[in-house]
Amino acid sequence: MGHGHHKIEIAQEQFTVPAKAKRFAIGLTIIGLILAGIGIATIDKSGTHGHQTEATKHEHAATAAKGGEIAANEHAADSHAETAEHHGNVENKNFGPRAEFHAQSKPWTTRIWSNVLIVGYLLFMVSLAALFFVAVQYIANAGWSAAIKRVPEAISTFFPVGFALAFIAILVAKNDLYHWVHYEHQHLTKGQPGFDAILDGKSWFLNSKMFLIFPVVLVAIWWLLGRKLRSLSVAEDSAQPGDVTFFKKSIRYSAGFAVIYGFTIAVVAWLWMMSIDAHWFSTIFGVYNFATSWVTALTIICLFVLYLKSQGHLKIVSDEHIHDLGKFMFAFSIFWTYIWLSQYLLIWYAHIPEEMSYYQIRFEEYKFNFLLNVVLNFICPFLILMMRNAKRNPVVLTVIGCILIFGHYHDVWLMVVPGVYGPGQQIGLLEIGTLFTFGGIFIYWVLNALTKRGLVPVNHPYIEESANHDVGV
Amino acid sequence: MGIIDKNLSLRDRNKMLLGIWEDEDKLVEATSELVHAGVKIQDVYTPYPVHGLDRIMGVRRSWLSIVAFLCGMTGFSLAFWMIYYMYVQDWPIDVGNKPVRFSPSWVPVLFEATVLCTAFGMAFFFFFRNRMIWGIKPELLDERQTDDRMVIAVETGEGVDEKKVLKIMKDHGAVELREKTGGVQTTI
Repeated sequence: MGHGHHKIEIAQEQFTVPAKAKRFAIGLTIIGLILAGIGIATIDKSGTHGHQTEATKHEHAATAAKGGEIAANEHAADSHAETAEHHGNVENKNFGPRAEFHAQSKPWTTRIWSNVLIVGYLLFMVSLAALFFVAVQYIANAGWSAAIKRVPEAISTFFPVGFALAFIAILVAKNDLYHWVHYEHQHLTKGQPGFDAILDGKSWFLNSKMFLIFPVVLVAIWWLLGRKLRSLSVAEDSAQPGDVTFFKKSIRYSAGFAVIYGFTIAVVAWLWMMSIDAHWFSTIFGVYNFATSWVTALTIICLFVLYLKSQGHLKIVSDEHIHDLGKFMFAFSIFWTYIWLSQYLLIWYAHIPEEMSYYQIRFEEYKFNFLLNVVLNFICPFLILMMRNAKRNPVVLTVIGCILIFGHYHDVWLMVVPGVYGPGQQIGLLEIGTLFTFGGIFIYWVLNALTKRGLVPVNHPYIEESANHDVGV
Repeated sequence: MGIIDKNLSLRDRNKMLLGIWEDEDKLVEATSELVHAGVKIQDVYTPYPVHGLDRIMGVRRSWLSIVAFLCGMTGFSLAFWMIYYMYVQDWPIDVGNKPVRFSPSWVPVLFEATVLCTAFGMAFFFFFRNRMIWGIKPELLDERQTDDRMVIAVETGEGVDEKKVLKIMKDHGAVELREKTGGVQTTI
């Protein structure tokens, strides 16, 4: 249908990475490495936890003392004080149950590994969410997205790499990144000084074996299902036109993947992110991490589609598809905010000390970052993408897309850093450098993955519907 | 422009030509042809949304999204004023020593009130504008337009070549052609 009622030609397209794009990706990596190098050269290599000044230490001790008054969990307070003493950091003795970060001495290299963990985890979650996007389109029998399907497929090839990055960081520095690992190695039993009942009670799940083996098993399952979905998609290209067997199989594999993903993605979030603040827990944490990765994945899909469009590819993709991707970015920014606020609000209302530990340090020591999170991830996309024309404008979408990607990087940063280092950290050259380095590698990888197969799933049963997609006036 | 669209009223039209379709694609084709021939289409009635029809007919973008925004702002402001008056000015209550001014507990109320006013405002405006409110009798050109038939209505008058209109309709798959004068319809 549409304009003048002529049939839209659906032809296969082959993408080759333009030299300019290669230069951009490699350049981003090199700039990232240089920035990270300067960052490493300028960080304080002597201290245990970064730039903590005398002033903030005192301030912090005061806050902690205030918190100690309402601390119901005396037991945890005792054990913490004892553990702190055990490591000879007297100034943290009064810290009480609210402080999750551990006073153990940490080598300065931890700063590098925490950055690799943050970016690796983000890229891993985002690439996996792109695979979930493909699965959702099959399950929902969606027609409009057939034309852009190869983009999330290409992004999803990156998730083992992102996973490996985070995994290496964990293997090397788990003792310094996760204080419960440090605690586990002490093999304390009940009654011994420094015994921590909370960590001991969680140890059936939160232990080094589970920590390393569970995610590897999960990633193997996801990878097999993802590979199957991608191979079905590419096999369809050379099938007889009108052959829906590949499509029907894809629906079954997608449903299987979605169920497994839905139940297991939270496990990785608990093990790798939530356990940084090991005494603390939040039942919505898995959904919160999914929300972050999902909106970032939609943004990255949109940016890659816009790039391919600007290079003259994806001829059947029109403003209508871009509009729908913009709606996704808009809608799931609100979804992220909803989940983010749900977690915060319940803890704020209940006012239970062991639940508040997570937010106390983030709200009192990282107030700027805490509020910046809402500005970048909610207010900017909400106010700007509300307008219809903004969702159809490549420039606006690119700007908001970059804000959202940085915003969700910043969100993951705020999940990790206060728990690992305590107060006094900021996003510096090392952080930006790591983001650029792995961002450049990610872009190069995805562009390269796009060249591996045709850009248009020409035999997809809904490709014609997608070519004629129209959201109306 | 009144809040109820007078242009949608069929009662005052003196004479109209109606074409009835069974097939969506043919309907779109016919509409396109009529528009290209310079015929002014009164409206096309379909039991479900037909993609592309709005663009071919040159329908303007709806004001509904702007109405939604204004209703949302109204809801937000009313809720803000309500909470501020009740909770800060008139009767502050100390709940667990939480702050009364601009605290996170305001957020769900503001959110719900905004959504409520947006949803109801949009629904009411939509029905008002489309003459689907109490007291206005529904005017159907053909009862089957709510089920499985589609109707193109063309108003006749000065400068409308009736024969040409009927020919285009017939050539593009109209299963029935009718003429409406006042409240009386006759099959052609």
